[in-house]
Amino acid sequence: MINDTQWPRFQVFVQVKPGQPFLDYGSVHAPDAEMALLNARDVFARRPACVAMWVVPAEGIFSKTAQELKTWDGALSSVPAETREPYYVFAKSKSAGTQTLLGQVEANSPEHALLTALKTYKNNKSAFAWWAFPSRLILSSQEQDIPSLYAPADEKNFRLSSEYKTVTAMREIFEQNQDD
Amino acid sequence: MDIATKNNLFELILALADDELILGHRDSEWCGHAPILEEDIAFANLALDEIGHANLWYALLADLEGEHSQRYADQLVFWREAQDYRNTQLVELPNGDWAFSILRHYLFDSAEIERLNALAECSHPLVSETAAKIRTEELYHLRHTTAWMRRLALGTVISHQRLQAALNQLWPFTGQLFHLSAVPEGLDELGIQIDSARTNWESQVIPFLADCQLRLPDSPVLMQNRQQHSHHLSVLLSEMQSVARLDPRAGW
Repeated sequence: MINDTQWPRFQVFVQVKPGQPFLDYGSVHAPDAEMALLNARDVFARRPACVAMWVVPAEGIFSKTAQELKTWDGALSSVPAETREPYYVFAKSKSAGTQTLLGQVEANSPEHALLTALKTYKNNKSAFAWWAFPSRLILSSQEQDIPSLYAPADEKNFRLSSEYKTVTAMREIFEQNQDD
Repeated sequence: MDIATKNNLFELILALADDELILGHRDSEWCGHAPILEEDIAFANLALDEIGHANLWYALLADLEGEHSQRYADQLVFWREAQDYRNTQLVELPNGDWAFSILRHYLFDSAEIERLNALAECSHPLVSETAAKIRTEELYHLRHTTAWMRRLALGTVISHQRLQAALNQLWPFTGQLFHLSAVPEGLDELGIQIDSARTNWESQVIPFLADCQLRLPDSPVLMQNRQQHSHHLSVLLSEMQSVARLDPRAGW
């Protein structure tokens, strides 16, 4: 086995506009959640619009694909009902899709959260894959972070390489040399 | 605005702009070399932010002089010699190790916030607007560098030692951070209180460094003016200006 010396991985979820569901944007490595949130801002929120961001330790995300669900016995670990807590449930419809927040369920365990979600979100029954994690694992950016973390990106244009004239200029020089 | 006030304002803004430009250039040198990919991206972002801030200040100088903003910025950046730059030596020193770069950025960001607080209150509308705009992004820079400061200072024996070594080297250069104008009282007319910015900065930074279990060095803070530079600035400029100077007529 390869000895993994990297920092823990955190999954990053982005809310593009108020009221829209959080979307999975990818992951960052960080020594802790606060650094993960700052790294996530730099990696994922510099150009695209963003109003809020969550980071969640990747190892805390319970995941099942449609394939795995077929053979899953849905066995629930025997956890007493008092440990019931809110879980967030995500699903993506296609293999190349994006994990999108469906909503929150109350559950005793990740397995219980997924079983509850399968009943609650019947419209998504044919989803390609599901994620569930307890809400306590989330570190979220705050409303007061918007001006310094996300708002400055609104004024920055994302410039495609075609907007720089270098390529055209180089081609002209190249063609000129060919003619000579 | 009388001519003396205008000259003082020009000198002040040039100092702010050059600080941002040179630190932005140093930040860009981490691109491809930072300890982890995420920080590589973070420092590239910081570089773009700082150079963007410099550009805003150069545009303000162009406005004061009645010049074309982009041409004037290019002229100032690519055609001045080291002795005409007004940045602090703090920002021109080579990047050193990660602890050195983080500490330098922390000292700069925390000072920058206080300078911008002072400028955001001034009576010149364009100066106060620009300062307020830049401040929002600097708050993020400060959060990033503060987070790293705590982790390096309180992390391992080695990271703490490296940060202490960086502080011993950098602390004397902090004197120039608030030495923005040869005649500080010349800015009174615009309501710019740089002295109180310095006091505010010290009251934030000194306790924070103590919380980080770092010791201020005994060596005195240097009170040099901004015309004094190390040889590192010439080396930096010769690289930064090399492309523009290959062909003065070239446009991009």
